[in-house]
Amino acid sequence: MRMIKAWMAMAAMVVVAACSSNTNDQQASAATTSVAPGSVGDFRQNVGDRVFFDTDMSTINDEGRQTLNRQAEWLKKYSNYQVTIEGHCDERGTREYNLALGERRANSARQYLIAQGVPAARLKTISYGKERPDPVGSDEAAWARNRRAVSALQ
Amino acid sequence: MAAFGVKLLPAMKIIPSRFALLSALVLALPTVAAAQRGDSVYVDDRLNQLQQSLTMMTGQIEQLQHRNAQLQQQLEKMQTDYEYRIEQLEKGGGGAGGRPAPRPGAQAAAPAAAPSAAPSPGAAGGSADQLYDEAFKKLQDGDYAGAERGFKTFVQRNPQNKLAGNAQYWLGETYYARRDYQNAMTAFAEGYKAYKASPKGPDNLLKLGITMAALNRKSDACAVFARFSQDYPRATDLQKRRIDQERQKNGCG
Amino acid sequence: MPARAQLTIDMTRPSFEPVPIAIVDFKGDSVGAQMAGVIRNDLQNSGLFRVIPQGSYIQQNVDATSPPQFPSWRQIGAAGLVVGQVVQSGGNIKVDFRLWDVVVGQQATGLSFTSQPSNWRRLAHIIADAIYKRVTGEEGYFDTRVAYVSESGPGNNRTKRIAIMDQDGANNRYITDGRTIALTPRFSPTLQEIVYMAYGENNTPPRVYLQNVDSGRRELLGNFPGMSFAPRFSPDGTKVVMSISADGNSDLYEMDVRGRQLRRLTNTPAIDTSPCYSNDGTQIVFNSDRGGAQQLYVMSSGGGGERRISFGEGRYATPVWSPRGDFIAFTKISSGGFGIGVMRPDGSGERTLASGFLVEGPTWAPNGRVIMFFRGQPSGGGRAGAVTLHQVDITGRFERQVPTPTDASDPAWSPLIPQ
Repeated sequence: MRMIKAWMAMAAMVVVAACSSNTNDQQASAATTSVAPGSVGDFRQNVGDRVFFDTDMSTINDEGRQTLNRQAEWLKKYSNYQVTIEGHCDERGTREYNLALGERRANSARQYLIAQGVPAARLKTISYGKERPDPVGSDEAAWARNRRAVSALQ
Repeated sequence: MAAFGVKLLPAMKIIPSRFALLSALVLALPTVAAAQRGDSVYVDDRLNQLQQSLTMMTGQIEQLQHRNAQLQQQLEKMQTDYEYRIEQLEKGGGGAGGRPAPRPGAQAAAPAAAPSAAPSPGAAGGSADQLYDEAFKKLQDGDYAGAERGFKTFVQRNPQNKLAGNAQYWLGETYYARRDYQNAMTAFAEGYKAYKASPKGPDNLLKLGITMAALNRKSDACAVFARFSQDYPRATDLQKRRIDQERQKNGCG
Repeated sequence: MPARAQLTIDMTRPSFEPVPIAIVDFKGDSVGAQMAGVIRNDLQNSGLFRVIPQGSYIQQNVDATSPPQFPSWRQIGAAGLVVGQVVQSGGNIKVDFRLWDVVVGQQATGLSFTSQPSNWRRLAHIIADAIYKRVTGEEGYFDTRVAYVSESGPGNNRTKRIAIMDQDGANNRYITDGRTIALTPRFSPTLQEIVYMAYGENNTPPRVYLQNVDSGRRELLGNFPGMSFAPRFSPDGTKVVMSISADGNSDLYEMDVRGRQLRRLTNTPAIDTSPCYSNDGTQIVFNSDRGGAQQLYVMSSGGGGERRISFGEGRYATPVWSPRGDFIAFTKISSGGFGIGVMRPDGSGERTLASGFLVEGPTWAPNGRVIMFFRGQPSGGGRAGAVTLHQVDITGRFERQVPTPTDASDPAWSPLIPQ
């Protein structure tokens, strides 16, 4: 029973969040498709595995907080997962600086999750700088999606 | 230069006081926040914000320091130009008569491929005045090595000329401008020894002290500053003020 | 009438005509024609020479040791003429070359050496260097190598491996296998070793490695819990300066290569990276965002005395000190895009040499007169944009693409190969 309640609450939260940004649209609709709760797919689709940053910034914005709050709740519930937080940058910076900036972003997300009660020992970081773009593209929209910290489950 | 120092000081002081405020905040933060909210995210947030303000201020200070250095350079150039005009007036015998001094506004006119710059270095045939003027022009143009050679030659050839004390002083300035404090000190010390009564005497002694301070010879510098009022009781207010400032800066008793 | 072409050139002048030069196939052995080809290519690519096509040569049979028929070379507009011969002797080759000053009608320079036949390309580069030096008064840079990052594969999962080639693109070989991303190679002063950054297996963080170029033996340069990156050798090769990150923050450290002692050089909450020693090893230039955005700073090589030197519009990155000590090259990022520029070590005299959508990572030829960097094109349709190496002279006049077998980035120009 409690599981279902939590599930509904989370779905509601996702719907609310969807108003603020279209990146969550997929999540909202995905919430109705069937992925096993507690699976990697569940985490990606229903919780959101990534947060985004402003240009040259590593502070977590409001939208990022909501995502990380969901991540923290989920990770506390499914404590069997280890997480590597990948920090990434857009291509509008130099290679070495971007490695450092990606590390800073990954660390910001990590610190936030720790503050939300996820044990530090479960959270590792790695920076990819501008070496692993997702999506590949050279316009503002692609750059905005590339300034990201992605929580990868193991 | 003195006026510049006085003017800019209050503006620069604002920043350290804002820093003090910030560090007080940083110290106060964790306890207050933890007590109020028991929320470490809040503390992290505030620390991030403070970090950002500090970074911003670091950037602003760097810019200010840069602008400060640029202004100082400009001012020193202006001062040199200004002193040159006065010297020319003095050479003209007080009255505005006589030949027009070799353009004081030489700086502005310089890029116009100065036709006066004859290919011969003016050393062989040139008069003492001409040699001095040429060395001065080089100083104004920032050709310190050229000016150094010119003033050196001038002093060697015309040790008794009424401009010899000035030339010795400017020779020191050519080193000082290149931060070659060791040679600058030697030149200013020589100026003090040989041309104590020159019109440039007070400036020369002041600069000797400043150069010693730059070489970290604080007690020597203080001794030099202490001589000043004794040697030059009739120095200008500006010079006296500058001596006081330097004494303070170097913690002279 | 314009002045006749001459066999000297002042490359610092605001404008000049490339020196017209004729290069005859070296005689005596089949490798002679190949050597002449390498020399032509080197000189033409420098932008300072115009190599006159062989088809227009009037004197067909030029002796390698006696004076040529100068009038016939003047007639085709040559200022210089290069002749040479290759003789096989006892398993070695003996090479003689001469540069004739066609304008004044006498020998300008000449060299003679013996070496193994397999060294013919290097010999050709050394001859090109001698010609370059005679004509420009500057040291040449043709007998050098370039390390770079070879890129291939899809945009979201590029393979990036370290490769080394001769300066002209010949003898390309791979130094890493491409299983993990490897970046930012830099040569030791002897060219025996490179340092670079590579990710570990299974997505473990990047670390700095030291690798012997010939044996392939590689070792981790210090085992730190966080990422280490942006390595660069000191001019004497005894130290490596790099960034190491801890808790998300990157600072600069210096490691003694032999004793592996680590010394911390900066300690700020800002990103300090891309360090590079001055040519005399006494200072380090690096970039830091301690003032809000990336700017260039210079400090003493033991740390301390940090001062900012860049104050223009935009962000400044990847500073590299010229081997001559007179300039610092950098990448600049402004609203209009990326630029490669140079400034004096005190920050004055800033100039832009190249600009574009993405230009990054300057590296100096050993004579401090030419810079290599990489250009990236915009990505589109999920495909990565092309990435290519380019070189430009210090006046910014002459830029050309450096051919590579694959897409290429992060060039590092070697010193002259020790002879």
